[in-house]
Amino acid sequence: MSGPVNDPPPGSPSDRQLLGAATMPCGADVDLLLEQVADGRSADRGSHQQRCVHCQAALSEFTALWAPVAELAAAPVPAPPGLAAAVMSQIRQLVHDIWYTLEITDSGTIRIAARIVAALARDCARMIPGVRVAFGRSTQGTIAALAEKATLGHRHPHAAVGVLGRTAVVDLAVAVTYDDPAHQVARDIQRQVIATLRDQVGLQSVKVNVTVDDILDDDER
Amino acid sequence: MAAAAQAAQLAVGDAYLAARAQQGYLDAYELLVQRHSPMAYRVALRLTGNHHDAQDVAQEALIAAWENLARFRAESSFSTWLYRIVTRRALNKISRGRAASSLDMLPDVADPAAEPATQTERNLAVDAVTDALLALPFPQRAVVVLHHFEGLSYAEIASVTGSTEPAVRSHLFRARRALGMKLEEWR
Repeated sequence: MSGPVNDPPPGSPSDRQLLGAATMPCGADVDLLLEQVADGRSADRGSHQQRCVHCQAALSEFTALWAPVAELAAAPVPAPPGLAAAVMSQIRQLVHDIWYTLEITDSGTIRIAARIVAALARDCARMIPGVRVAFGRSTQGTIAALAEKATLGHRHPHAAVGVLGRTAVVDLAVAVTYDDPAHQVARDIQRQVIATLRDQVGLQSVKVNVTVDDILDDDER
Repeated sequence: MAAAAQAAQLAVGDAYLAARAQQGYLDAYELLVQRHSPMAYRVALRLTGNHHDAQDVAQEALIAAWENLARFRAESSFSTWLYRIVTRRALNKISRGRAASSLDMLPDVADPAAEPATQTERNLAVDAVTDALLALPFPQRAVVVLHHFEGLSYAEIASVTGSTEPAVRSHLFRARRALGMKLEEWR
């Protein structure tokens, strides 16, 4: 590609002529020239291209040809509103939900979904100083199976399979800040979450399992 | 404080979220969905050319990703893994359904500074690109979308498509020539 300066071509070649050929008259690979333009490197010209009129003409032609593609690629494509919510709604239907019973009387039953309890606990944990990230789960696996088994034998008329009873069990996975003692943060979380669930939901018996699984610096946020 | 807490959740990496989601923390997966659903829809739209199919594909892919989360290994990024699922779902949709044809749902590219006549011409050009893109065989269309629209490297595309880097490059060479020919016809 470092040969002598080429004579000017008799006329600008059409794109069709260029795209129908494997190489340029100077020997340059047409695919590589098109790749150079498509990858936005048309201005990065080596010594051959700086002197070769064939390559320069082809790069100009391809730049004009590819412009609408680049324009379409750069155009924002907003996702339909509600897409993420629709996905999560379907996933929640697939998850076997479990419930905590707050009250069972002949007047009726008050129940709350364990995932709501987990979300409240998570949101509470996120507000505690030293917590960078927190996620909550409603102990779906083992506890849900236990709950189902436990409620099958002596089901109250207003209860349902999957009701766990009056004791809420919440798992929280948290990442804490580097400067805060993890054990202290974890205890603060337990204390605060228990108080929140008692005050906001009426759950009197709450077990909060806290797993500190990461320590993040400020710059890792 | 609430805004700061929310910002911290959003700033955490995909790998961390995917690991928590694998442990059953659905709210961690919800953050991944919020973060990646625009990409899932965007890629699906470019591949299917149809808003309704794209919405179906994006939704199915994000649910399938959750159902198969146990199979996700941190060898690739979560986004690469999701690109793979979206691309496969789009191919399935196209293969079993009607041909991609409804192009009117693709957004027009609007430049507020452009004169109306210029803007119309631009939109026609963009429609021509969309037509040309949808006329490509699926493997070529996929590599163009993943590389030129999404900015994935050859190695990442090879991972997404289960191919090799030379094969990806070869598909791209052919796709660009075919696109160029179509656009030349339009000009």
